Order: sequence, then C-alpha cells, then structure tokens
Amino acid sequence: MRGWGSVSRGKRPINRLPSGKLGAGPVTASPCACAKMVEEESLRVVRCGGSELNFRRAVFSADSKYVFCVSGDFIKVYSTATEECVHILQGHRNLVTGIQLNPRNHLQLYSCSFDGTIKLWDYIDGILIKTFIVGCKLHALFALACEDSVFVIINKEKPDVFQLVSVKLPKSSSQEIEAKELSFVLDYINQSPKCIAFGNEGEYVAAVRDFYLSVYFFKKKTTSRFTLSSSRNKKHAKNNFTCVACHPKEDCIATGHRDGKIRLWRNFDDEKKYTYTCLHWHHDLVMDLAFSVTEGSSLLSGGRESVLVEWREAAEKNKEFLPRLGATIEHISVSPAGDLFCTSHSDNKMIIIHRNLEASAVIQGLVKDRNIVTGLMIDPRTKALVLNGKPGHLQFYSLQSDKQLYNLDIIQQEYINDYGLIQIELTKAAFGCYGNWLATVEQRQEKETELELQMKLWTYNKKTQGFVLNTKVNMPHEDHITALCFCNAQKSENPTLVTTSKDGHFKVWILTDDSDIYKKAVGWTCDFVGSYHKYQATNCCFSEDGSLLAVSFEEIVTIWDSETWELKCTFCQRAGKIRHLCFGRLTCSKYLLGATENGILCCWNLLSCALEWSAKLNMRVLEPDPNSENIAAISQSSTGSDLFVFRPSEPRPLYIQKNISREEVQWGVFVPRDVPESFTSEAYQWLNRSQFYFLTKSQSLLTFSTQSPEEKLTPTSKQLLAEETLPTTPFYFILGKHRQQQQDDKLNEALEDELVQLPLTENIPAISELLHTPAHVLPSASFLCSMFVNSLLLSKGTKSAEEIPDDVSMEEEKESVDSDEENNFTEQVQDTNNTDLGKDIIHQLSKSEEKELRKFRKVDYSWITAL
Amino acid sequence: MAAGGGGVAEPFSPAGVPCAFSPQSQAYFALASTDGHLRVWETANNRLHQEYVPSAHLSGTCTCLAWAPARLQAKEGPQRKKRKSEAVGTSNQVDLLALGTAVGSILLYSTVKGELHSKLISGGHDNKVNCIQWHQDNGCLYSCSDDKHIVEWNTQTCKVKCKWKGDNSSVSSLCISPDGKMLLSAGRTIKLWVLETKEVYRHFTGHATPVSSLMFTTIRPPNESQPFDGITGLYFLSGAVHDRLLNVWQVRSENKEKNAVMSFTVTDEPVYIDLTLSENKEEPVKLAVVCRDGQVHLFEHILNGYCKKPLTSNCTIQIATPGKGKKSTPKPIPILAAGFCADKMSLLLVYGSWFQPTIERVALNSKEPHMCLVRDISICWAPKVETAVTKVRTPMMNSEAKVLVPGIPGHHAAIKPAPPQTEEIESKRKLGENEVSIEERLGALDIDTKKEKGNLPQTNSFPVLLTQGLESNDFEMLNKVLQTKNLNLIKRTVLRMPLHAVIPLLQELTKRLQGHPNSAVLMVQWLKCVLTIHASYLSTLPDLVPQLGTLYQLMESRVKTFQKLSHLHGKLILLITQVTASEKTKGPTCPAQKAKLVYEEESSEEESDDEIADKDSDDNWDEDEEEKGSEKDEDVDEEEEEEEEDAEEKGEENGEDRDVASEKELNGDSDLDPENESEEE
Repeated sequence: MRGWGSVSRGKRPINRLPSGKLGAGPVTASPCACAKMVEEESLRVVRCGGSELNFRRAVFSADSKYVFCVSGDFIKVYSTATEECVHILQGHRNLVTGIQLNPRNHLQLYSCSFDGTIKLWDYIDGILIKTFIVGCKLHALFALACEDSVFVIINKEKPDVFQLVSVKLPKSSSQEIEAKELSFVLDYINQSPKCIAFGNEGEYVAAVRDFYLSVYFFKKKTTSRFTLSSSRNKKHAKNNFTCVACHPKEDCIATGHRDGKIRLWRNFDDEKKYTYTCLHWHHDLVMDLAFSVTEGSSLLSGGRESVLVEWREAAEKNKEFLPRLGATIEHISVSPAGDLFCTSHSDNKMIIIHRNLEASAVIQGLVKDRNIVTGLMIDPRTKALVLNGKPGHLQFYSLQSDKQLYNLDIIQQEYINDYGLIQIELTKAAFGCYGNWLATVEQRQEKETELELQMKLWTYNKKTQGFVLNTKVNMPHEDHITALCFCNAQKSENPTLVTTSKDGHFKVWILTDDSDIYKKAVGWTCDFVGSYHKYQATNCCFSEDGSLLAVSFEEIVTIWDSETWELKCTFCQRAGKIRHLCFGRLTCSKYLLGATENGILCCWNLLSCALEWSAKLNMRVLEPDPNSENIAAISQSSTGSDLFVFRPSEPRPLYIQKNISREEVQWGVFVPRDVPESFTSEAYQWLNRSQFYFLTKSQSLLTFSTQSPEEKLTPTSKQLLAEETLPTTPFYFILGKHRQQQQDDKLNEALEDELVQLPLTENIPAISELLHTPAHVLPSASFLCSMFVNSLLLSKGTKSAEEIPDDVSMEEEKESVDSDEENNFTEQVQDTNNTDLGKDIIHQLSKSEEKELRKFRKVDYSWITAL
Repeated sequence: MAAGGGGVAEPFSPAGVPCAFSPQSQAYFALASTDGHLRVWETANNRLHQEYVPSAHLSGTCTCLAWAPARLQAKEGPQRKKRKSEAVGTSNQVDLLALGTAVGSILLYSTVKGELHSKLISGGHDNKVNCIQWHQDNGCLYSCSDDKHIVEWNTQTCKVKCKWKGDNSSVSSLCISPDGKMLLSAGRTIKLWVLETKEVYRHFTGHATPVSSLMFTTIRPPNESQPFDGITGLYFLSGAVHDRLLNVWQVRSENKEKNAVMSFTVTDEPVYIDLTLSENKEEPVKLAVVCRDGQVHLFEHILNGYCKKPLTSNCTIQIATPGKGKKSTPKPIPILAAGFCADKMSLLLVYGSWFQPTIERVALNSKEPHMCLVRDISICWAPKVETAVTKVRTPMMNSEAKVLVPGIPGHHAAIKPAPPQTEEIESKRKLGENEVSIEERLGALDIDTKKEKGNLPQTNSFPVLLTQGLESNDFEMLNKVLQTKNLNLIKRTVLRMPLHAVIPLLQELTKRLQGHPNSAVLMVQWLKCVLTIHASYLSTLPDLVPQLGTLYQLMESRVKTFQKLSHLHGKLILLITQVTASEKTKGPTCPAQKAKLVYEEESSEEESDDEIADKDSDDNWDEDEEEKGSEKDEDVDEEEEEEEEDAEEKGEENGEDRDVASEKELNGDSDLDPENESEEE
C-alpha cells in the first residue's frame, strides 16, 4: 500500500499551477547566478530609500487594494491597507514617466518611460507581459477603453515642442513588439501630463498651455481653442493654466490657474457660446485637479497650501477641507471605485484618503523636500539614520527596514506653506553620549543683521521613551554656528559639547548640576569661550579619547587641551580654509586630518607636531569609521565623485572607486553593522564592520553592496510561493455563480465543492452514525462505496464524474482504516504514511460502468439518510 | 530565531497570548490578543502597523502564530554565505503569518497586503491548533493539535501533505531541527521524528505537565570528533506549563539517556522564550525567558554536557512605574515578550498591556545581576491616532527646561580667576574667615537693632534690614529694602552698610538684574550707588574679577543692543517732538499778528505754492520730493520726511513755528544722553 501511495503521488496530475509564478520571468533570478555574484564580490553603488514617489500621479487598481506609483526606473505597487510595497515592477531602463491601468483588463498596467518603450505588466504577480517599442522619449501615457491604441506625449523635433500622439499597439503573441504606427493628435502642448485630460469616455481631449485651452473632438476631428486674457495688466498676469481635469460623464472641463482660481468650462463645443464659472479658494497656484470618478459630483483640488479641497456639486459654497497635509500637494488621483483618493506631496510621500476626507495611510519615502544641512547622523539608540526631514523636523530613517520611522518635531511651530516666507530652519544637530543627548540648532535670518539663533539640548528620557528639552539657549553665538560636536569619549565623566561660530569664538558647554535645594536638575552651561585672532571658527572635532579638541579657524587648526582648555599647538598650512577636520582612531589616533577648500588633504602628526603627508584631492566628504581606523573621503572632480578609503598611517589608500556618482556628493556616514561581515577580499575589508552611506546633491541616498542586482532589488519575488486559496463563502452561492460556472469550468468546480462539502459531511448525523458503527457490522466497504458514489452522482445531476474520487476519499479516510486490499479509490490522507490523493481514478471507470451509474440516478437513495 | 513560545495558550492559562517577533531583523511584532484581533507592531518606532480581525474571531480565536521564514530562494552553499547575504540585503521582507485557531483551522495572513492569504482547513485538524512551525527551506508548515495529530502542510497548494498521529494525548508543541530533517514534538513525551519517514527516532521523558515550548539551542554539536549527521549531539530546550524549570536535552547517538541534561530555573512559568543559537562550541547560548510574573531571566551558558544542579539566571530584568510622590508606590509593569536583536547584545522588550504594548530596545550588560527599569507608560495608554498617520513625534518641552539668554550666567563662560590653584586655596580660606566673622557680627547687629528700635529712624534701620536680609537670604526683607525708590535713602543705606555685606549685596543685585526689566531699573540705582561708594573696598578684593564676572557679562550683553536702541530712540524722539510741536501750533493759533510783523514776501509764496501742488496731484510726487530733499537735510529718514511734511502742512502759514520745531529737533537729539537712557530703561 505504501508503495502504491508513493507511486500515486508521483503520478498525481497538478491541476492548478500557481499561475505565472513559476514562469521564468525576468524577475526571478536563478540561484546559481546569485552564488556566482557573491563569489565575485564586485562592489556596486546601490540606491537606498528609493527614488521620489511624487513624480507622477499615482494610479489605483480597480479594486482599490493597490496603488501604483512611478519611482525612478521602477513602478512600485503599494497596498493601500498596509502601506507596504507589494511589488517593484522593474524592466525599464530609464525614468518611468507614466502609468495607466489597461482599460480592457483591469489586472494589467501600462507604463511608459524615457527609454522609448511601453510595457504591459501583470501587477498582481509582478510580471512583465509585453513590451512595445516606440523608439522616442515618452513623457506621458494615456489609455482609453474604446480604442486599441494609447496616447503618449513625445517631443520629436525641437526640444520644447511636445506633441500628443496615439500609438497603435499591434496584437501579437511575442514578448517584444515594435509599435511604430503613430498618429498625431495635438501639437504644442505642455510636457506635464497634468495638462492633458480625456473627457466623457474619450470623446474629446483637453490640453492647456500658458493662456489657452484647446479641446480636440475625436469624432468631429476639430479643435476649439479658448484663450484667457494675458495682457500685461496686473489683474490677469497670473492667468496661466496649470492643470486640467475632465468630468467623467458630462461635458465639463475644470482648469486650474496660477492665481489659485479654478474655472469650470461648459458648452465648449461651440467656440462662441462657451461659458465658464470660477471657483476661488486657493491663494497660490492650483497644482492638481481631479473629479470624483463615479458620479463626478465633486471636484478635488490642491496646491501649495497643502490643503485638499473638495468642491461638492461644483459650487463655491459647498467646500470640504482636509488641511495640514504637511507639504505641497503635487498630484491628486481617485480610485476607479471612487472610495479612495491619493495625494502625492512634494516631500516624497503619498497619502491615501478615504471618501469622507480622512487620511488612512501614508506612504513615505525619504523626505526630499528641502536641502539637507544637518548632514547624516546615526542615532546610537535606534541605529536609524537621522537628517533633515519635514521643515523643522528631524527624520529618523530605518536603514534596516528601509523606511521612515518618524519625524521628530524640533521647532514645534506651525509651518506656513507659502512661497517666499523665511522660515525657521533646523541647521545643525548632533547626538552625544550614546544617544542620551541631542543638540539642535535652529536659525532664521530675514536680513543680514537680523539673525535669530536658538540651540536646544534634548535629553532622552527613558521613562517616557522620548526626548525632553533640557536647556534652551537663545543666541548661543552672535553669528552662524558652523559646527557642533559632542565629546563621545568612553571615560568622559560629564557630557561636553563644543559649538563653533562665525563670530570667531568657540564655546564649550558642559552639563552641570545646577540644582537648588528643591529639585534635582541638571542643565547645560557655558564653560569656556575660546578664540584665535578673531578668525572665524569653522570646524571642531574631539579626539577619540576626548583629551584633545581641534578647532579650525579658517586656515589654521588649533589644538586645545580639553581638561584645562589651554591652547596646545596650532597647525597652519596656508592652503585655504579648512573644510573638514577629523582625528584618526584606534591605532591612528596620533593623526589629525584636515581637508581644505583649495583641494588639499593634510595629515598632521600630533606627536611630532609636523605635517605627515598631504595630498591634492578636492574633498567633499571626510568621514571616519567609528569601528576602525579607516577614513572615507569623497572627492569631487569634473567627471564625477570618487571614493577613497584610507588609513592615516598608510600612504596607499585601501580602496578606490572612481565615479561613484555623477553628481556632487554632499554628505556621508559610516553605519556600524549589527552583525559583522566577513569579506575576505582585502579591498572590501573596510566594509566588514560598517557600511558606508552617502547622499548626493539631488538627495538620493546611496550605499555599497556586493550583492547581485537581482538579489538586492527583488524582495518580493523571493517570497514563499504560497497559493491564495480562500474557501468560498455562502454569498458566493447565493449569487448563483456556482451553477453558471458548472458547465464551463469543471476543474475549479470540483475543487470548490470539495472545500465546501467537507464540513457538511462531518455534520450530517446519518454519516457520523455510519462512521461510528463497528466495521464488522457494516457491509463491505467496496459495496457501500459504490452506492455512495452513485448517490452523489445523482445529487449533482450532471455527468461530471470527476468529483467522485474527491468526495469518496473523505469518506474512506475514516471508514477504512483497517480495510486491506483496497478498492480503486485512494485516500487523500492516510495514517502515518502519506499518500496523496490520486485523481486518475476517473480513467479507471469504464464507459459501461458510467452508464450503469447514470441509471442509478433514478433510483431513490433516500434510505441512506435514514440510516 | 524568535519563533518559539507561540503555542503556549492553554484554556486554563490566560497569560499566554500568542505573539512572535518577525524573523531576521525583528522589524515587526505580531500579537493575537484574546479579543480575536491580530495586531502587528513595528518594533523600531513602536507604532501599530496593522490590525486584522479574522471573520471567525469569536468562535475560533487565535491560539498560536508563526511568521513565515523570510528566505531567499532555495540556497546552495554553506551556512556562512547565507548569513552574509541576508545581513546585507534589506530585502528580506517578511510577509506571511500563520495563525492557528481554536477550531482547528490555520489561516495564512499576508502582512504586506493586509488581508487573508489562504485558509488551511481541508483534512487538517478538528480541534485546537497548539503550535505551528514553518520549515525553513521547503515551504512546508507543521502544525499540531489537541486532536493528537501532527499535520504537514504544503503551503504552495494549501493542502495536507501528510497527517499522522503524534501522541496519545494532545500534541502541544513542535520544533524543527536546524538541518530541517527532524521534528521534535511534545505530547505526553517529547518525540523526535524523522521527517522523511515519519518515524520516531528518539523519546525523551521528563516533564509532568504539557510542554509549552520546544527549541533547539545549538546548530553544531559541542564535540566534533565524529562526522556530524545533523542531529546527534545537539541540545534542545523545553518548557512546560506550571513548571519553573526549563530542561535542556541532548540528542545522543545511543538511545539510553532519556533524561534532561541540565535545567534552568526561573521564578514562574515561562511564557515566552527566545535564544541566540550558538554556532560553535565556544559561543555561549544566550537565553531570555519571560515568566508569567512579568520578569525576564537571562541565561548565558556554554552547553557542554551534564549538569545536575539547576542553573539560575545571570540577570533578571523587571520594569516598574515610577512612584510619583509619596502617594503612589511603584507598580510592576509586566514584560510580555523579549527577543534578542541581531547583534545578540541587545534585547527587544515588549511590556505593558496587550492592547497597547511598548516595545523597547535595551542594551545588555551582563555584569548586573538585576536590572529594574523605571518606565512611565501612562502616556502610552491613550492611543495615538494622529501620530499613526502623520508619523510625527513631538518631544516634550516642559517649563522645567533651563533657558539661557545672553547675560544669564551660563550663557557665556564664567570669568575665572586667572592665577593657578595656590591662590584659590587662599581665597577659600578667606571665605571661611568671613563666615565666622559674619556670625559674630550678626549677633552684634541684633543688639544694634534692639537699641535703635526706640528711635525708629528709617535711615538707620535700612542698612540693618539689608544686612540681615542678605545673611538670612530673606526674600521679603530684601524686597522691603531694595524696592525703595528714594535715591537719597539708597545712598545713605549703602553708605552705612557694613563692608562685608557689599559682595553679597552685589550678588543679590545681579540676580535681581536678571529678572524683569522693571525691577532691574531699581536695581541699577542700587548698583550705581554701591559701585561709586564702595569702589575703594572693591578694588582691594583679590577675587574681584570672578566675583563680578557675571555682573559684567550681564551688563555687557544688556548694552549690546544699546547702540541700536539709541538709534531708535533718537529717531522716535525726533518724530515725537515734531508731532507735539505741530499739535501745539494747532491749539492756540494766533498767527495773524506775527504774520503781520514778520513779513517775508518771496519765501512764503514759494512754499505755499509747493504745498498746494503737493495736495493736488499725486503724480508729481517725485518731483516734489526732490525739491523737498533739496530743501531739507539729506540724512533724515523717509518716515521723518513724511512726518515733517505733515508738520509743514499744518504749520505752513507760520514760518517761525517751523523754526521752533527744528530747534526742538536739535533738543531731541541732544537729549540722547546714554547714561540717562540707561537709567530710564
């Protein structure tokens, strides 16, 4: 019996393959390829934290379960319920510029890219279905249900002349198809897809640019054009169109303008009789507009005010607001079902909003709104990357899970989103003493002479698990603070902070016990003020043991004893202002490194007080590794940025990688690893204990990886391949699909029945009675079985013989534990030894037997229930 | 690593709520509470990630849960390689969560999609599922139940692969061996099964009560003399309901030894267990056991053979609330779960209530045998809906924070005595002498006051009051004296005060100067008197510079903006005088006579013409101004100019009045005596 079982398992036909998942799409990497890559260990620069999510409008899936957005060369599929990225669709070789659901199959997605291709995806499984090669740069994509072509924006001749053309997508079974059949629709349009809208199920297309609105009617093949007054008088100066949206049902076009007005155009099929009404709430330009999909009764608008406005019934007085969305609304999209909205914001986030204007989920990438001035830091407590986030906030970004943890509100003032307002900015921050202290500097400068500075010192309160303000210092210096540095030595008994400023002083702040008798309190006080010949203090750095403090005053480096604050010695190279300063670590602690603006890297020996070596390198970043002697330096040249990893004691760099990025690298940081790596190759040993991250000018966070691209970039394709099987609900039967599908799809039907009938068989008392009767009293199993099968056949009323084995096997499982030489029916589950259910039983029933069985239908088998 | 402890829930044990950390980086903590809700928390920022309520959550509550291994595709090569690639990639996203229910079904929930992925029921259990284990490699799922069976599921097809009877009683716990070829199950006895053949390989007996948790603690045997077959020599751990001992067993090659090798003792029944696998024989096994009484016990032990005595914990962690004031006593906060972080040096602690737990990362230093963490979780009670969506945290800014503004001591470095230590000692000695003498003098002063009480001359009692107030630091007494406005009185008081009280007085004055500007005005009078009268005494003091350093800094910072202020003041005076001047001319107008007396034909005509033009058209404004500019001084501001125009308009008929106004301007300027100013302020 056992042997048989194993055979049957081998022969068992797989009735349902997990569709697509086993297909060898480009996303699944073969394991051997991975292994090879690991062995080679070539170091690549990889992106962390993702690209921007707010480049184009997000697109919802038909059931609103997923939302798609373009992100660099990829398309990301997020779950609207959990904010998690479900898939990353990759295959484009350049920036993805537009996505749209396939109107004829809502499980598919079209995308277009600068690489000149349109791709069709199965987004549920994350598989590329087809590639249409168009050939020229595609700037946006639109798809309509009624036609078998899509519309794209291209610029063929001149760099700033854009055209809307339709591309006929040829039907073919091959993976890559050339789609060269372009037909011209509109010329001289705006590049942004926000300025094109298709209305009333594709009857017309509206495009706006500068001061005119043009509407092209597909049936009439005519274009009507409406121009707003753009005269030089002040009243109409800001009449420019910014975006357009079309009503889904009616002939109505909404346009947004630079002065904050929204115009609703009607009767535009006649160039004379057209009318428009104005809605005005926004005080700054309208960034995007969207009509609610189902009935089109409400219009959504958003702009720099970061308030989502819903205009009900297109009336000025019926407004609903969702304020405080945090940053400028760049795009608004509405799900096809109409239950969700999605707004994309300038700070690289998307907010999923319910129909009743309640934000339900935030998909947040690395905040990219503003300039990063604090640099990159590591919070020693959470190991999170810390940098400027939302205005006035510090963002904590988890590198392990690659997502933002939270924003810490440092300034705690309401941010007013308005152009040209001078805001308080968070300029410096530093962590000290294993994350117990956080120092932040904020400044606001309206005019040359009016500088407002504030330094805040926060302590981490373990009881409440959060930062608490300890000391606030108004105007800690009379001019800009240039650097901030904690003394992080192991043995330092009290925390020390040094600030340097352009006013020529550096201040040493220490934590003192300034308690009066009533409350035990500690606070920071200034301990020492140092200066050097009225030069501006530009940088400061503590040595590893905290005994020395190096402060650079423009071209001169001064070394101070941290015990007595005496000036020990000065170094001067006359090679330009010092831009970076750092001490060597561990065995190299006798070295001090300084990089100057003139592109010279100097290394001084602190014992001999002499210059050890210098090199000509235009340094942008100089970062010591906290776990080793290594120092990473990134230099900027005309072609790109180069990375050098070296030890101060050795003349030769450990590792050089040219061209790590085409743009300027602004900040870098070493992040200690939780689990040390074991790269055997000497060149990569510097990555063993820490990982190096750097941030470029366009605020993309990059790091180094030895993994193959497939391994790094496809998280979800390597998930457990578990099939989605959910039992059918009673509603399913009520809706009657069950009967209809019966003829069409027998395989599936059998499967469902099996699932549904399982509880039924267990609950009928007659059957349980039958099962509990001792075996020797019952007639032989084979006899009972055949009758039982027949009864089942009758109840079906069809000739589908396929279910027989399934149902019977359930019966058999309990009944015939001890029945030996087996009838033809196998068990689904057996004791101890597993045998899978063989479905090939069917074939063993001869045709004559089948006929006989059909006869049995007419016989009354009600006796079985009476048993 | 953190897969265990899930299936603890017994009908009679309410504490064992199924919960688990997600594998690898412990980014999530899944918790199925007794109300049938499954909640997934983010460990890094303690935020509710998602909540899921199974449709049958009331009838079939969740009894155990297990995260699917976040694995890469089937992997060849040694263990080492695998670890490396996993650590680098942030890609090991975890997704599936298996939930066992009280009715015997198993749900697979996708945390990425936030919905039920599949439901395993057909041919499975018909009683409560006690434990679920994922196989790390082949995508199988093992579950055991009260129906005495163990089921092997194929998660790809969601079908039963195999079902066999695991024990004569209910099977309560499962564990898969590190190499994935063996399975431990615990019913009445602990059995080790060979997965391929489903045959029992070993029996272990020892626990009297149902075993609640099973875990392998090593992945390699301690002695590697014979070739390793994947199981022999490995240790595993078991904990049982109502048992304060955790037993460690070793799989021996000979079948004789059936008893536990050693045991760990804890204070209460273990609820959640996590450990770090030791990969070689030198590396100790670290074990964290959360007990029902809410404590965590940490063990660190190198497993190498038999040990008779139960081992006690190296470290115990407790959490308590801060006792606020005298009224409330600190209360313990139960720890619900604990998991080791990837670096094995820190522990993730979950504590508080099941509905709103707090997750914290605690660094371990094994030196202390007992750690009591004081945590205030009262803030955490209120669910933070707002932060859940915006992801903004607001750090506390309370009034207790120290504020340093320029001038307050501490904002700038205190001025220290320049000479080195020897002199400091001297000054200290001096201070000591002073104190003694003050005591003596106090006595003397008391007598003085008594004597003079009869007369009650105010001038005499003020110095006495002042010195007494300074000695005793009596706020009211000092207020009485220092708030006087009589300049003469101040002078006389300062004259008659004893010398030793000068420095304390100066310090008191400094303190008060830092306060409200209104009181500072008064203090400045005092300061002025003290400095003028006692200058000679002060100059004799050796430590004058540090003594008066703060005062100096204060004055320095206060007068820093003085220049700007005086500019402003000057301008304002200019305006005000002109306004008042124009108003004066408005009131008593008797210009007719004067106009007759002073007769200047040409000039008056010109002016009047100008003014008329000015009123008539705005267009000619520019020209007009130019003319004005030529007429008036160049260095006055626009505002002033306008004001002056107003003045002119009103006083146009009278040439002399204008002259008066300009004279007053001059006066206004000359009024700006800096010293006066400071006193006024």
